[in-house]
Amino acid sequence: MGEVELSCLAYAKMYLHASQFPRCSVNGLLLSSSPAGAAVCITDCVPLLHSHLSLAPITQLALTQVDAWCSQTQQRIVGYYQANACVSDSSPTPCALKIAEKIFEQCNNTVLLMIDGEKMFPSCRVPPIVMYERKDARWALKDKHAIMLRQWEETCSIVNQLFSSGDQTLLVDFDSHLDDITKDWTNQKLNAKIMELISPANGNV
Amino acid sequence: MSSISELYDVCWEEMRDKLRKWREENYRNSEQIVDVGEELINEHASKLGDDVWIIYEQVMIAALDCSRDDLAWSCLQELKRQFPDSHRVKRLAGMRLEALERYEDANKLYDSILQDDPTNTVTRKRKISILQAQGKSSEAIRELNEYLEQFVGDQEAWHELSELYINEHDYAKAAFCLEELMMTNPHNHLYCEQYAEVKYTQGGLENLELARKYFAQALKLNNRNMRALFGLYMSASHIAASPKVSAKVKKDNVKYAAWATSQISRAYQVRGTQECTLGVFPVRLEDSCHTLLMEPPLL
Repeated sequence: MGEVELSCLAYAKMYLHASQFPRCSVNGLLLSSSPAGAAVCITDCVPLLHSHLSLAPITQLALTQVDAWCSQTQQRIVGYYQANACVSDSSPTPCALKIAEKIFEQCNNTVLLMIDGEKMFPSCRVPPIVMYERKDARWALKDKHAIMLRQWEETCSIVNQLFSSGDQTLLVDFDSHLDDITKDWTNQKLNAKIMELISPANGNV
Repeated sequence: MSSISELYDVCWEEMRDKLRKWREENYRNSEQIVDVGEELINEHASKLGDDVWIIYEQVMIAALDCSRDDLAWSCLQELKRQFPDSHRVKRLAGMRLEALERYEDANKLYDSILQDDPTNTVTRKRKISILQAQGKSSEAIRELNEYLEQFVGDQEAWHELSELYINEHDYAKAAFCLEELMMTNPHNHLYCEQYAEVKYTQGGLENLELARKYFAQALKLNNRNMRALFGLYMSASHIAASPKVSAKVKKDNVKYAAWATSQISRAYQVRGTQECTLGVFPVRLEDSCHTLLMEPPLL
């Protein structure tokens, strides 16, 4: 399997999701708007749940909804992320493996990403993520050198900016949407805010 | 940096009342409690009367939640000074040790409380929390079961046990715990809905029918429970699609599913806003039901 690139937008939202619910396990789906190829470019993510990750109905519902939304917006589901409530344990749970398998049925470059809670602090120099890929019918650790986070320093500073302006509370996951359906689980507003912060770094005006 | 009273234009009485509300309704909005409580304690402690002690306790626990050991320590000192022999304060000292991950020291403290007072339920539950924090789920489950044999009426414990079983994928036992909760709280729509979700996850026709019934019950108790509405749609759709059901059962379930769809569409029309993917949802549910029906319950 080839390289995986993780965009600032996807990383920021995953990080915010895990930070918003520090006492819970959280999960979500990784999306790509790039065509399928040897390399996987994760361009966005959809935060899903922060409770009862291993119960079927809401997970199934969320998967079909995100799938439908993706076909409307020319994106594909290319992976799954999870942050465990128990900070010292960042290994994939049976539930994570099952969902990743499900995604693998449709996408043979599926990425399974576990967030490493112990590395989630502001001055950490290393991305707090552990990636797995499907190899020989099991999920194996991916070679760190095949994972790319462009402009890592800028990404860190953008995440810090979001925290200091309290914007992490804008993040809506699917669970929160079900509690209040006026909330937007596609996070258009937050996406726009993050993209605004990213553009100067890319030199795009 | 402006104070809470300046930022929100509230007086100290309103801050005190807010803290009481959060305490009584068991909110865990720790950052807010720390902000409001710290200011109240620092500026207005003398005006609070006897309330000050329970506020110290509330703020201390919130401070532990936010890694504010400085604040937690000072609250603890005040409480120790006022109540030097109290088990309750000793337990708070134990919670601080837990927050510092000094689990052995915390356990020693809790054991000394339990030696004096073996029926101290809060302390017993703290010991179980330590097992959970250490990732020792099977031991936590075992201890919690033993606890519940003695303290059968402890709702919080039953619910915690159901969560532990769900995480371990032991759905049958989770269902049992939720059945206990539904018996003692027949009007609680959340327990009905969670029970239905567990049944759905267990899968199989019988469980799906039970799931559908309990999703319906949850809706009767609270017709705005969206999870129950979606759950009703999904369980009815799966039953209708099953080759093992009679024509009548199929017809009934198609009707239930159609009803659920219309309720969902209405909910989005009435309450949805332009920002949410309103256009996507009600249409897509019918389109996506094809894929939904092709898949058995996922997990």
